[in-house]
Amino acid sequence: MKKILVLTWLLVFVLGISVAFAEIKNPDTYVYLHIGEPDTLDSGYAYDNASGEVLTYVYENLISYDGVNLQKFIPVLATEVPTVENGLIKDNGTTYLFPIREGVKFHNGNDLTPEDVEYSFERNILFDPANGPQWMIIEALFNFQTLDDLVADKVGTPLTEMVDENGNLINPDDATKLIEFYQQVIDPVIEVQDGSVVFRLVRPFAPFLYILPKHAYWSNIFDKETCVEWGCWDGNADGWWKYYNVKKESSPLYDKANGTGPFKFTEWDRTQQKVTLDRFDGYWGEKAKIAQIIDWGIDEWGTRRAMLEAGDADQIYMPAQYLDQVKDLDDIKIESGKRITVTAFHFNWTVDKTSDFLGSGALDGNGIPADFFSDIHCRRAFSYAFDYDTMIQEVLLGYGERPPSVIPSGMLGYNPDLPMFEFDLAKAEEEFKKAWDGKVWENGFKLTLLYNTGNDARQTACEMFKENIESLNPKFKIDVQGVQWPNYLDAYKSGKLPAFVIGWIADYPDPHNFIFTYFHSSGVYGGPQGEAYINFAQENLNPIIEAAISETDATKRQNMYEEIQKIAYENVLGLTFYQEIALFPMKTWVQGWEFNPIQSGEANYNGVYKAE
Amino acid sequence: MKSETHRIIKKLFLNASAIIGFVLLGVFIVIAIFAPFIAPPKEGRDPYMMPIVTWTSSPQPPSPEHPFGVAGKRDIFYGVIWGTRTAFRVGIIVTVVSTLIGLFIGSIAGYYGKLFDEILMRITDIFMAIPFLVAALVLAAILGSGLNKVMIAMTIFGWMYPARLIRGNILQVKEEQYIMAAKALGVKDYLIIIRHVLPNTIFPVLIQASMRMGSLVITAAALSFLGVGAPQGYSDWGALLNYSRNWMLGGQGEALLYWYSTVFPGAAMVLFVLSWNLVGDALRDVFDPRLRV
Amino acid sequence: MIVLRREFYFPSGVEGLIVLIFYIIRRVLFIPITLFGISLIVFSMIGMLSPYQRLATFISSPDRLKSENVDQLISMYGLDDPIPVQYGRWFKNLLQGNLGWSYVGKAPVLQALLQRFPYTLELTLYSAIPIILIGTWMGVLSALHHNRTLDHSLRIFAVVGWSFPDFVFGLFVLMIFYSTLGLFPPGNLSLWAEGIVKSTSFRSFTGMTTIDALLNGRLDVFINALRHLVGPVLTLTYVQLAYILRITRSSMLDVLQRDYVRTARAKGLDERIVINKHAKRNAMIPVATVSGQTIVGLMAGTVIVEAIFNRTGLGSFLALAAQQLDYASIMGGVLFFGLILIIGNLLVDISYAYIDPRVRLD
Repeated sequence: MKKILVLTWLLVFVLGISVAFAEIKNPDTYVYLHIGEPDTLDSGYAYDNASGEVLTYVYENLISYDGVNLQKFIPVLATEVPTVENGLIKDNGTTYLFPIREGVKFHNGNDLTPEDVEYSFERNILFDPANGPQWMIIEALFNFQTLDDLVADKVGTPLTEMVDENGNLINPDDATKLIEFYQQVIDPVIEVQDGSVVFRLVRPFAPFLYILPKHAYWSNIFDKETCVEWGCWDGNADGWWKYYNVKKESSPLYDKANGTGPFKFTEWDRTQQKVTLDRFDGYWGEKAKIAQIIDWGIDEWGTRRAMLEAGDADQIYMPAQYLDQVKDLDDIKIESGKRITVTAFHFNWTVDKTSDFLGSGALDGNGIPADFFSDIHCRRAFSYAFDYDTMIQEVLLGYGERPPSVIPSGMLGYNPDLPMFEFDLAKAEEEFKKAWDGKVWENGFKLTLLYNTGNDARQTACEMFKENIESLNPKFKIDVQGVQWPNYLDAYKSGKLPAFVIGWIADYPDPHNFIFTYFHSSGVYGGPQGEAYINFAQENLNPIIEAAISETDATKRQNMYEEIQKIAYENVLGLTFYQEIALFPMKTWVQGWEFNPIQSGEANYNGVYKAE
Repeated sequence: MKSETHRIIKKLFLNASAIIGFVLLGVFIVIAIFAPFIAPPKEGRDPYMMPIVTWTSSPQPPSPEHPFGVAGKRDIFYGVIWGTRTAFRVGIIVTVVSTLIGLFIGSIAGYYGKLFDEILMRITDIFMAIPFLVAALVLAAILGSGLNKVMIAMTIFGWMYPARLIRGNILQVKEEQYIMAAKALGVKDYLIIIRHVLPNTIFPVLIQASMRMGSLVITAAALSFLGVGAPQGYSDWGALLNYSRNWMLGGQGEALLYWYSTVFPGAAMVLFVLSWNLVGDALRDVFDPRLRV
Repeated sequence: MIVLRREFYFPSGVEGLIVLIFYIIRRVLFIPITLFGISLIVFSMIGMLSPYQRLATFISSPDRLKSENVDQLISMYGLDDPIPVQYGRWFKNLLQGNLGWSYVGKAPVLQALLQRFPYTLELTLYSAIPIILIGTWMGVLSALHHNRTLDHSLRIFAVVGWSFPDFVFGLFVLMIFYSTLGLFPPGNLSLWAEGIVKSTSFRSFTGMTTIDALLNGRLDVFINALRHLVGPVLTLTYVQLAYILRITRSSMLDVLQRDYVRTARAKGLDERIVINKHAKRNAMIPVATVSGQTIVGLMAGTVIVEAIFNRTGLGSFLALAAQQLDYASIMGGVLFFGLILIIGNLLVDISYAYIDPRVRLD
């Protein structure tokens, strides 16, 4: 036994000595640690930050923002940005012309042609996976939310009722109808014209250019040849429906990528949640300064932090509350940037009656009725009962701001002077006393607030509500429960949650993206707010929201969005907690890193390199 | 009889580690009973929920108002004290119920043998082959979160061990003369089991049960780590330790800055498990040498 | 389960071999039945969940989920079919060798399992050896110094490791040996070593990096892989020591009281020989069973260590699958583990029969 001990110590010693200490570890490789991993490498499908981070540097788009100026564009794969002045935007904003750059190579050596651009958009539209990002393109071009709806409108039957789960037609005679659909509806909308690509919208859509630039990875440009070779749609009118809504893992582009970007895709190691990108030396523009990027998902905060300290990682993802742990370290600097996101709290005006979170289901002190929040006093009481400043100061450690409503700062429609609620327990009490003709105050109530486990800020928000509201009246009881994501999804989507904390990251920097999402009856967050809300929205909000999106004059749009936010305030449609200021800890040897408010995740690999 | 009891007590208490074990256990029992006085809960609140004392998530060092410090926005002292009750509750309920189930199934399998034994043991094998964590997580998704649901999971997947133990012992004892005699006399089966078989085979099960009391607390902590278990803020040592997880590497250049968030709940757990282990060992020493763990 | 019958002796020679073979055949025949039983239990548990809950694993961007899409997605993945139909579908695929797609592993389930298994096996083997060696050594020491200081200290030392959740000790190890000393980093391999292993010139025989590195003659990769193993092995070893120590100790204490030990002492044999040749060997018998259990238990219980030391492995795969209700991964993983466990138990039971001449395979 003793011999074994001695041997062990020798081994440890030997291993320890073989450590080589370098000043900058891995000088040609940039290692970035975050949580999670890409969902897919198929730009037609991807709708999450982790995928976006990778896709944005492997593929390219027609245009890009001019640095951090989100109101100005520069051409990338196009040679000019279409404007009314240069004549590339015509016909009252329904025609856009993009001259395509020559001499651009894909990673496998193929040349970029206008046909590739046409193919990329058409393929993605015909793919339109459920819960994917293509709705933005389809909405912009056709004024429908899904391909399914578009087909239903033009052909008479929804596409989902025409094909079975293997993509085959249930009724083979429908083939002609669908072929016609492609030839008459889809094909003419995107066409090649003398070295340019033309987009023809059905009606003017102000934010059209905003859903195309770099960071909008659903508008990436593929190489048609490669895609067809790998098994995607072949570009023909016949049989396109086989490629509609294919399952994520069945897409040929799931784990392969061939783009024109400064980095080429080398490997996706799914046992380690690690993506490796290598510099593309055939890049048409300014070559990347770093030779290799490692985009790595490590979910454990302690491990990420330890690796950053040791220099094995150059940048890591850090939730704001851990700032104290890294801010005093010598060789680490903390960049920050205000993201275009909001986190808000909205109410369900008509909760599903089978919900477990209503307690007794009546205002008897042991529950709430399903339409509890349809009374504006209840909503207003909650709005006064939240300690907004403490949330930002103590939970986000000051790294957040309060926008008045769901439009974050930096966007059209934002106005810090709009009215907003302040923390005022006296007013909250007043409102509670008025709610439901005084019954709320008399009998008390009990409800459950759910949050998705793993999100500290949302958990704390729910706990703050509980503390503050319960302090008003001993008959008020709020249960705060953390649930795993599957249970949260279940409760949320079946309308069982009485209220919920929801955040939204901008898809593109236009207020429509936020307003539609939160307030329109068809918005992502519209439905979960209950039937009574949907009716309210259809009457009071939908018209003005739709008008604002078709309006092209910026000043008029500003006024309209301010109007919408005022309606939201007066009717207490929700309360906004904060707009986050994100923190990016990285080694001091990282140079050339620049924050862009619209970027998907935390990575910004553009001009990054390592030097003291 | 009297000298037998004498012998047992003497053996139990002359042993240093046994004394430590019983004393520790006694301290925990006292803490559990007097929890409302040691750490008084707020009016009208569920006493098992640790009160939120700050909104910052970083741990705060011990101070006069918070003798063990603050972690996860909550008072650690309160959590440790009331967590004692939780530990006992979880341990006792799960151990008792799973042992009873195990005894029932194992006795039938062992006593009746043959086909009963084969089928019941295969069922036991099946349950034992399912990784506990997976089963607990899926059950939590079905039943919802909460300590009761965790206890159900631990019971459903915990009866197999006492079952196998008692079955093995019964198989040994079954062929003994006095059992055969009782059978020949026509004594009813269940009476034989209860009055003759069980008393002679039950001690290892009791010893195993005493040690499981400790290990259950650890299992519950592992489940808190994975996000299932007691609701947020419930007084549970595992949950408290979980608060310290993201702060363990320290901060501001000092690695052990947040030591208190780990040490206090950790010490409670270690001492609790240690006490049950020592008690189990002491019982084993007493009923030695015929019985093995 | 082996029954200890003091009267019977293990039949030797040809008769013994036949008994053994029949025993193995009987046990092996039971495997598919057991696995079937496992699959039924687990699938029915999953089946009790609502389609919305089970949909969660297919959604990656939860905040952006639109209500209209939910129903479409549910029928797309067949989540609203009756449970027996869904089970039948899964079973049919299983018979064709297709375990389905793992959303957690982002690969076919079987592939995901096989990719991760060597890592878990490697970690388990490298941990099991110190656990058993050190655990038995400490257990024997403890028994020999029964109720004296050494006994108490060793036992308390072990229990402390056992009762702290692994992440506490793991983070502690990470802090000391990585953050402070820079000796043993997290992860499977350093970047340069990984490049070598993934290159075409490196042949992967077992999937276990340390062994493959030696087989490829690359000592540098071997040492690097070893360095990355130390942290998790240290954590797992300390945490699991207590159980082996306790079993060895009580078994040793038991044996020391036995007649044959007293006889050997009475004969005047040197104490060291008594202990080493007679007592220890017999005391190790129950340890063999427990070792088998420990090894198999290690394989399933490494999720926390894998998370902290950022290692690939089956533990985190299973835990993530369970958390996200990725039913294909859960079913595949549970069957996989079940198989390992059953085979492991079988091997242990057989070896037990060989070690202890008094045992009969019944």
